Amino acid sequence: MTTIPLSAARAGLVSCETCELLSRPADAAEPGYCPRCGAGLEWRHPGSLQYTWALVIAAAICYIPANVLPVLTTTALGSSDSDTIMGGVVLLYTTGSWPLALVVLVASVMVPLGKLIALTYLLVSVQRGSIRDSRDRTRLYRMVDFIGRWSMLDVFVDTFTVALVQLQPLMSVEPGPGVLFFAAVVVLTMIAAESFDPRLIWDSAPGEPLRRHAT
Amino acid sequence: MADTPDLPNVPQATVVPGKRARISVIWIIPILAAVVAIGIAVQRVMNEGPTITIVFRAAEGMEAGKTFVKYKDVNIGQVTAVKLSPDHARVEVTAKMAKSAADLMVEDAKFWVVEPRVTLSGVSGLGTLLSGNYIGFEVGKSDKKERKFTGLETPPIITGGQPGRQFVLHAENLGSLGIGSPIYYRRLQAGQVVAYDLAPDGKGIDLKIFINGPYDRFVQAGTRFWNASGVDVSVGAGGVDVRMQSLVSLIAGGLAFETPSFATGPEPAAADTAFTLYSDQATAMKQPEAISTRFVLYFDESLRGLSAGAPVTLLGLTAGEVTRVGLDIDPATSKVRGRVDVVAYPERLVTRLSGEQRATGESLARSAQQRHALFQQLVERRGLRAQLRSGSLITGQLYVAFDYFPDAAKAKIDWNQDVPTLPVVPSTLPDIEAKLTSIIGKLDGLPYEAIGADLTTALGSLNGTLRDAGTTLNHVDSNVTPELRSTLEDLRRVLGTADGLLKDGVNTTLTGVNATLEDLRRPLATADLVLKNTDATLLGQNSAIQQDLRDALQEITQAARALRVLMDYLDRHPDALLRGKTEVKP
Repeated sequence: MTTIPLSAARAGLVSCETCELLSRPADAAEPGYCPRCGAGLEWRHPGSLQYTWALVIAAAICYIPANVLPVLTTTALGSSDSDTIMGGVVLLYTTGSWPLALVVLVASVMVPLGKLIALTYLLVSVQRGSIRDSRDRTRLYRMVDFIGRWSMLDVFVDTFTVALVQLQPLMSVEPGPGVLFFAAVVVLTMIAAESFDPRLIWDSAPGEPLRRHAT
Repeated sequence: MADTPDLPNVPQATVVPGKRARISVIWIIPILAAVVAIGIAVQRVMNEGPTITIVFRAAEGMEAGKTFVKYKDVNIGQVTAVKLSPDHARVEVTAKMAKSAADLMVEDAKFWVVEPRVTLSGVSGLGTLLSGNYIGFEVGKSDKKERKFTGLETPPIITGGQPGRQFVLHAENLGSLGIGSPIYYRRLQAGQVVAYDLAPDGKGIDLKIFINGPYDRFVQAGTRFWNASGVDVSVGAGGVDVRMQSLVSLIAGGLAFETPSFATGPEPAAADTAFTLYSDQATAMKQPEAISTRFVLYFDESLRGLSAGAPVTLLGLTAGEVTRVGLDIDPATSKVRGRVDVVAYPERLVTRLSGEQRATGESLARSAQQRHALFQQLVERRGLRAQLRSGSLITGQLYVAFDYFPDAAKAKIDWNQDVPTLPVVPSTLPDIEAKLTSIIGKLDGLPYEAIGADLTTALGSLNGTLRDAGTTLNHVDSNVTPELRSTLEDLRRVLGTADGLLKDGVNTTLTGVNATLEDLRRPLATADLVLKNTDATLLGQNSAIQQDLRDALQEITQAARALRVLMDYLDRHPDALLRGKTEVKP
């Protein structure tokens, strides 16, 4: 404990999330409203962990049908063909286009799964009051937050293909139910990442006064 | 609010319950997700049909995930894996069936690969050209569930639910028939051959046929089936008769059936009834002969050309057939003779009788006693005899004719014999031969050489005669011609005299005529004068009539001119007719 860095909470101040104005809270439990912009002041996102947990669990549940159910049903010359995400990856790989298979594998399988695992890890570590690798965990959170929007790639491809390939009698592409769940996974993890308050990572640091508040 | 007393050990009571205890609404999302996911999972599990394995000889066009199992063109399953059997001899196809088809997977369900098939009797499975092969399915009748099947190599032609019934035909051989060969009823396709197999004893072929829907009730116990393959050409007195069921049957073979009028019953035959397949329509439709009378005939002549099945005719109508042609040794004379067994069918003749007589005929046919009596009478009184006759001079086929020979030697029928012997008369055919032979013999006996010699001498004398004629002509030429010439000269002289005489006579006659004509001229001149006078009086230049005529004509000319002037005026002034003539202006 050489020098404990000063944080807003430790100084008994609260920062406005909207205009970043540092102000003295009206009450420790109910910090009140920002005197400058009028936004509600909060020490941390209320129920951040609960929200994030709920969304992560929902996303995890959706992840299963997203991978099991077909995302695309191609009907070509009377024979229809349903493909799941992993099936598509395998098909791409076996037909020789492994870079494409890698892209799909990373964007559609690993990224959502990685996000789920990362968020779970962050949640568990925060709840356990871990103080280790707080900096790395913050970086992880930033990555999760950043990458979120890119994992809709699969859904985009799907919608484009469905819209473009409609040569009715010869060939048509129909979206499968899997794509709905996949989109749900992406959206839910994005909201989960959004609702997670990264400041909680640092609340477990020694001397931080908000250890009990955040749940 | 601001002045909180600084007592760290005293907790401040909260106004609202702690946030910890409150469970956020957000938990609805995972619960919803879980419900949906579980719902889908449950639905999946509920719809999960059985997974079956079908063993095929080869996985023709089958692909995991792409090949479907179809029943009545509805997908009831999908191939999930295609792999070799453990012994690498066959292909095991794993298919996931729909839940709805779960109870169809019974022991005797049939599976086969549907691929485009072009056969003589049609093209099938064209849809597979686009969609790829699929596995056809046919329900079984068993109740026993089964998960492992053996696929059929050829598709069964009949698919379940199709109304109709199956029958069995016993055939001598398969001929040109095959699976799918059409079966015709009155030239309408009514069914097809479904399967065939060698009879268990190896003697013949058992054909399984299927007669479709409404036609199956025309198959009755007495129905006859015959092979309708190819063309049936028969040459009769009425011309050439060509029969053919259809072009397809000509190529692919076919069967036909019909119920003969004598065997028609109201009840359709039960399914799987066995029938005999006849080789042709005539054989099939032949009436079974219930009543028959057998006879034996002993011939002392050549039986060449007579075979079993040859017709026996009565007055030219078929009355029976030859059953056997053989030899016999007469116990009395130890003479080898020909023995012909024939069978007569009285019923055939009865059907030829006219209406009123038919009843009598039928009773006659039924009662052996009456029949024998009639036969007896015919043989003894009318001279009914059997005789060999030639059916065709070219092929030399013989048949047996029952005919009347009143001059034949008296004979009797011994009905007590096992097979009564019918008296015969020798064939007329050998007579013809003998006559021909005798003619040829006589021709042979003619003295050709003597005739030739006579002819030669006759020709020689003729030659001499001709030579004599030549000399005679020469003689005439040298002796008679000069005489003839002098005679002609005399004749000319006589004619000259006649000419002179005639000239004088004619001349005197002509002068007479001249004088007569001169006399005629005088009265004519007088007539001429009279006429001239008349001319002068009537038509002369200054005659009165001429003058009057000229005046009249001048009058007419003037009148015509006046009329023309009037017409011209009227033309210009048509109103003058109404108003009168107006003053002409200068």
